[in-house]
Amino acid sequence: MDESAEKGFEEEIIGKNELRDKTNGIIYGGGYLLGVVALDNLLMSKDRFEIKYFFVSGRRIKSLAFLPGDSFPSLSDICPSAKLYEREIADMFGIMPLNHPDLKPLMLFPENWDAAVHPLRKDYGGVKCIGPDFKRYGEYKYKKVYGDGIFEVPVGPIHAGIIESGHFRFSLRGEPILQLEIRHFWKHRGVEKLCEGKSLSEALKIVSRISGDNSVNITLAYLTAAERILGINVPQKVKHIRVIFAELERLWNNVRDIGFIFMDIGFNLWAQNLFVVLEDILRMNKSVTSHRYMFDIFRIGGISDTAYIDGAKAGDIAGLLEKVKDELKKAEKIVLNSPSVTDRIELAGKINKKTAQELSLCGVCARASGLKRDTRIEIPYLLYGENIKIEPAAFEEGDVFARTRMRIKDAFESIKIITSLCRSLPGLLPEAETAADKEAADAASNTIAAGIFRAGGREAIGNAETSRGNAFFYISTDGEGKIYRLKYIDPSFRNWPAIQYGILGDIIADFPLVNKSMNLSYAGNDL
Amino acid sequence: MKIPFFIKNIFETKTEGEESWGKVETAGNELKKDVYGKLGRSLFIRLVDSGSCNACENELSALSNPYYDLERFGLKFVASPKHADILFITGCMTRNMLNPVLNAYNNIPEPKFVVTIGDCAGESSIFRESYAVMGPVSKRLSVVMHIDGCPPEPKTIISSLISLFRK
Ligand code: SF4
Repeated sequence: MDESAEKGFEEEIIGKNELRDKTNGIIYGGGYLLGVVALDNLLMSKDRFEIKYFFVSGRRIKSLAFLPGDSFPSLSDICPSAKLYEREIADMFGIMPLNHPDLKPLMLFPENWDAAVHPLRKDYGGVKCIGPDFKRYGEYKYKKVYGDGIFEVPVGPIHAGIIESGHFRFSLRGEPILQLEIRHFWKHRGVEKLCEGKSLSEALKIVSRISGDNSVNITLAYLTAAERILGINVPQKVKHIRVIFAELERLWNNVRDIGFIFMDIGFNLWAQNLFVVLEDILRMNKSVTSHRYMFDIFRIGGISDTAYIDGAKAGDIAGLLEKVKDELKKAEKIVLNSPSVTDRIELAGKINKKTAQELSLCGVCARASGLKRDTRIEIPYLLYGENIKIEPAAFEEGDVFARTRMRIKDAFESIKIITSLCRSLPGLLPEAETAADKEAADAASNTIAAGIFRAGGREAIGNAETSRGNAFFYISTDGEGKIYRLKYIDPSFRNWPAIQYGILGDIIADFPLVNKSMNLSYAGNDL
Repeated sequence: MKIPFFIKNIFETKTEGEESWGKVETAGNELKKDVYGKLGRSLFIRLVDSGSCNACENELSALSNPYYDLERFGLKFVASPKHADILFITGCMTRNMLNPVLNAYNNIPEPKFVVTIGDCAGESSIFRESYAVMGPVSKRLSVVMHIDGCPPEPKTIISSLISLFRK
């Protein structure tokens, strides 16, 4: 195997002054930014900091790597989606992007953290940054709109319902929204630092709790990277089962999200109807995997014992999905045919294609704005691209209506995939695990436990399509095979800024609807 | 009259499934008796997420679905802490959420109780060692009850609330 297949990406080492030209080249060639990862090599023998820009270009992932010293040129003008990553690097490593238009602290709120603290530096001791007196270090400056009759509406971080925490600040004149500034990262838990120094299997528990409703798919992205590092090729059957769980999670997420849309347009009957379906799926999850949200169902190289699907369980799943399908068909009919529904959701929260492109959106939001982006197609993993062929699809309108239809389409697609996999599963596993499989898996976990694998000083990336879009992991290991740096990028991190554009000109009353139609995660975003 | 699907669905599940509908119903009615008896009226809950993974929130929203429908037992999630009797906290209490959580707590009128939901909010949180985490919640506020689980299931939350009022 060549090196790029082992790591999952091709790397080009460049000088930091070439970054802008090279990026321009990739973007004009149709590529887009997938994520930015910074590393502190203090403990390894290279120049101290290193930054890698990852792009999707064609069907490959390409990285531009360079040594920034203590600053690097900002890409925010030629590639606006780089803005947030650059702010994050400034926070976490203290490496400064030059000519950045909005270099406020991102995760480390100026009120709570000393500006000299950069937690992801290797020489940061991990001391909790709080004085007994709750000392305020600084002040966060919101973007202001000036003019006659302009007023601000701050919302959050604590919201009215059972929702995660985040702050939204609207500037309005009369009814229409002139500007929205999203201030997130209230829930910043320091997940990346927490994983450092842990072994690849120890970190699994943390990774599956990054964003609870996308736990399965995020874990799969992690496992792709971890298994690349360990050189493990998982058996066909394991891939099979993993895809069933991945699609099951996508399905219940979409059912819930369609329900939320009904709820926010005041169509409570159908919202509750879908919540009943959702509860049915969650209960089935519990009976199949012994966890309603399917936490901890994977281990490196396999599936954990509690979640092993046999023929009977596969039958249960397929049976319930028949019912889910019927309900979704009815819901689709209502969405498409009731003027009282379409009136509310058409044209609301419109994100046009150009914005989607510039912000490197992913997942449902990208597909509803005319970009055919789906990790399962672009960067195939597990059975995707092998046994399972997914047709690239997109809607052009970019409004709530398009996102709703995209979700319904995704849900039907998941049902199709799960049903066909459940049907072919019994053929793959005559009895439970075969002895040979078990041996291979045991051998793999033994090498992991003994720490004598080839993981020392390696790096790899992993991707997976969650119900919200692409989840990305970069992992590098130290000499002993422990995690040296783990970077996770949530689809929500890419997609949140889009709401700031989609909501312009709409009224505040539409904001919950637009927000729910994208249903982004706060936890995954804040890390 | 044709019975709407979702109502039919509830009746159907009444007779099947390992979590029998009847159990939730009895538990709920007991809870209602307690709530009305001890507080004179219904119980208002304010939920604050102090850094969860969102699965705990999902379970709390599930309490309002037609299967459980907590509100008919006299328990209601409210928008403002000023209306609340009880504060639910999920999540590991991050540094950035610390001040908002304390603020919400201070705005709840007396008498008030704090209940923490999920392992993150308790002593055994896996995020506890992080530089950004100030938990467990009990270090900052006095907590009357902690509900275990990652996340605790809706029926666990209901039965824990019953035991709280029995105390
Ligand atoms: S206790 Fe578990 S489910 Fe609840 S927020 Fe924490 S990790 Fe998520």
